[in-house]
Amino acid sequence: MELRLSDLRDGESGVVISIGTRRGRDRGDAGRVGRGWKFRKRLEDMGLTPGTEVTVVRSAPFSGPLEVYVRGSRLAIGRGMAERVFVEVKR
Amino acid sequence: MTKNRFTVALAGNANVGKSVVFNQLTGLHQHIGNWPGKTVEKAEGTLHFKDYSIDIIDLPGIYSLSTFSLEELISREYIAVERPDLVINIVDASLLERNMFFTLQLLELETPMIMALNQMDMAKKKGIRIDHEKLEKLLGIPVIPTVAVSGKGIYELLEKTVEVTEKKVKMEPLKAKYGKEIEERIEKISSLLEKIQFKYPARWVAIKLLEGDNEVKKEITNISPEIVSTAEKLAKEIEEIHEHPCSTVITSERYEVAGRIAREVREITPPIKPSMAERTHTLTTHKIFGYPIMAVSVLSIFYLIFAFGDYTSGLLGDSLLGLKPIFEGIFGTGVVGKLFWGGVMEGIIGGVTVALPYILPFYFILYFLEDSGYLSRIAFLMDNLMHKIGLHGKAFIPIMLGFGCNVPGCLGCRIMETTRERLLAAFVVTLVPCAATTVIILGLVGAFVSIQWALALYIINLLIIFFLGRLAFKALPGEPTALIMEMSDYRAPHLKTVLKQTWFRLMEFVTMAFPLIIVGSLVIKMVEILNLLEPIANILSPVTVTWLGLPAITGITLVFGVLRKELTLIMLATLFGTTNFAQVMTPVQMIVFTLVAMLYIPCIATIATLVKEFGWKKTLFITVFEILLALLLGGIAFRLLSI
Repeated sequence: MELRLSDLRDGESGVVISIGTRRGRDRGDAGRVGRGWKFRKRLEDMGLTPGTEVTVVRSAPFSGPLEVYVRGSRLAIGRGMAERVFVEVKR
Repeated sequence: MTKNRFTVALAGNANVGKSVVFNQLTGLHQHIGNWPGKTVEKAEGTLHFKDYSIDIIDLPGIYSLSTFSLEELISREYIAVERPDLVINIVDASLLERNMFFTLQLLELETPMIMALNQMDMAKKKGIRIDHEKLEKLLGIPVIPTVAVSGKGIYELLEKTVEVTEKKVKMEPLKAKYGKEIEERIEKISSLLEKIQFKYPARWVAIKLLEGDNEVKKEITNISPEIVSTAEKLAKEIEEIHEHPCSTVITSERYEVAGRIAREVREITPPIKPSMAERTHTLTTHKIFGYPIMAVSVLSIFYLIFAFGDYTSGLLGDSLLGLKPIFEGIFGTGVVGKLFWGGVMEGIIGGVTVALPYILPFYFILYFLEDSGYLSRIAFLMDNLMHKIGLHGKAFIPIMLGFGCNVPGCLGCRIMETTRERLLAAFVVTLVPCAATTVIILGLVGAFVSIQWALALYIINLLIIFFLGRLAFKALPGEPTALIMEMSDYRAPHLKTVLKQTWFRLMEFVTMAFPLIIVGSLVIKMVEILNLLEPIANILSPVTVTWLGLPAITGITLVFGVLRKELTLIMLATLFGTTNFAQVMTPVQMIVFTLVAMLYIPCIATIATLVKEFGWKKTLFITVFEILLALLLGGIAFRLLSI
């Protein structure tokens, strides 16, 4: 099923489907310029491209950032960012 | 014989040991400064090898050549415009895929390049073996395995550098191919671009236009808007084929190529037991234990620095002040002598007693922690809290430094990604009570009112930081960036590199702050010699006496405090002729005075730093704002407490 990266449990893996440019459902479209562009480009440059497997290692308490494992390296991603990454998860 | 001189740029991801390579290459011939007009650090050095003089530029550690951060923009501009004779791409052998992604982009810039496959030892520990000869064949550029921390491979790297710049090596750099539908469109745009003059290679520009890179778009629009609109149309077509934005498609395919290369050249046999680094990581980012570990480490570091600083500062100050009779012997005790001693020498002493005892250990520990990898864990743990004032986790590091001294704090803001974030963080840092401010709080209110009041002032200060941080966050235009950073494996810091980094940053501070400190103390000494202290106190008295309810004399001490904040307290004692402040000030006066001294102005060294990082205008704004704020709050506090 499709979930936000921030909804994954510690230790759970998923495959990136897309990165939303704004909060909500209008993911994958619009906002090629400005706000959304940079934001999405950054995540993708760090390796979170569609089709990539990503594992949530742990999340910091009080809805802090997530530690994820992607393409052999460890990243810290702010929760706000993780909320906009949509992943396919087998549950 | 004339020496051959050429320029080499080091490029690579963060945490690949780039600064170690830089320090191994350049030794003590270094210059640390900023990129012209930017708050990005520029490290340059020169190296003599055989008959060659090689200038080395250490480019910032980045992951891509898009325009997410200033660093990325600067790096690509540098490579394309300044055209170094050679780029050495430094790569972490244990993270080949991510590193290769950046390598492919460097190759797209069509610059002469060789690769240093670094941290081979760490890769080995993780059970990763790399066939560097195969990698060399795949990439079409020389690949030299290195272990920079032990100096292994550095000599070979230099030999190869010379060979390549002397054009003795045949290179056929790999041109990463994208899918057919993309290649066709790149081709179309490139052919249009070949008709115009532009600093970047045509193929690179074509790819960037398809990716929708704003900077490139802007610049090409000025030359030929038709090309941009054609590229936009073509990008739309790609988007329709793949059902993903064009930039996503290109990034994905680039990562595909990177991953393919990585898989072809490496063999992984994961170790059975988690490594020490791994276990330390788990512990230091732990939901519960992570925080106390951080608190204990940070507090003990502060305690150590203050204990060390206090001791050495006193020792240094005393021995330097002992020079006074010698000075007076040479210059006499007249006006010239007074100016020389009181102005120049006391300025220098003031600077030295701050720089060596406090700033030196601060930088040392900062670079030590950074090199070890612990700073990124602190940023991870503090991200949530920092978001409350509109910043992200990394901002905690400059703020933490600010508690020791605002100067390294402000310089530390360079770790933030955008100019907006840097300014915001620096503003918060200038409000943080530094060691000198702490001396005033404890020495005046803590000693003569009560320790509870001292603590209350500290808390008030933190609340002010919180509210003003939020306010500035809302007021400053631009978008906030969220935290996204790599947490590289823990490793033992390379002591030599850490020491050199510390030393050259200290020199940077000295050259920046000392002139201002000396000029400042000269001016104040002159004012004193001309007997203007009392008139100034009188001029300030509507503010100090009427509005703040303080003795008129405090006006003078506040003027002196601009040099160094603890001078407000020292001057107070000198002018009152007593260190028992309870005899000369009421508790309310002491609290109001401390509150004002805490906030009223960044000290002159901090001002110098701000000017260097952000320019006069923003510095002036911050300074005036903080003076007004301190006076406003001081006046309110006086009235509230006098009820």
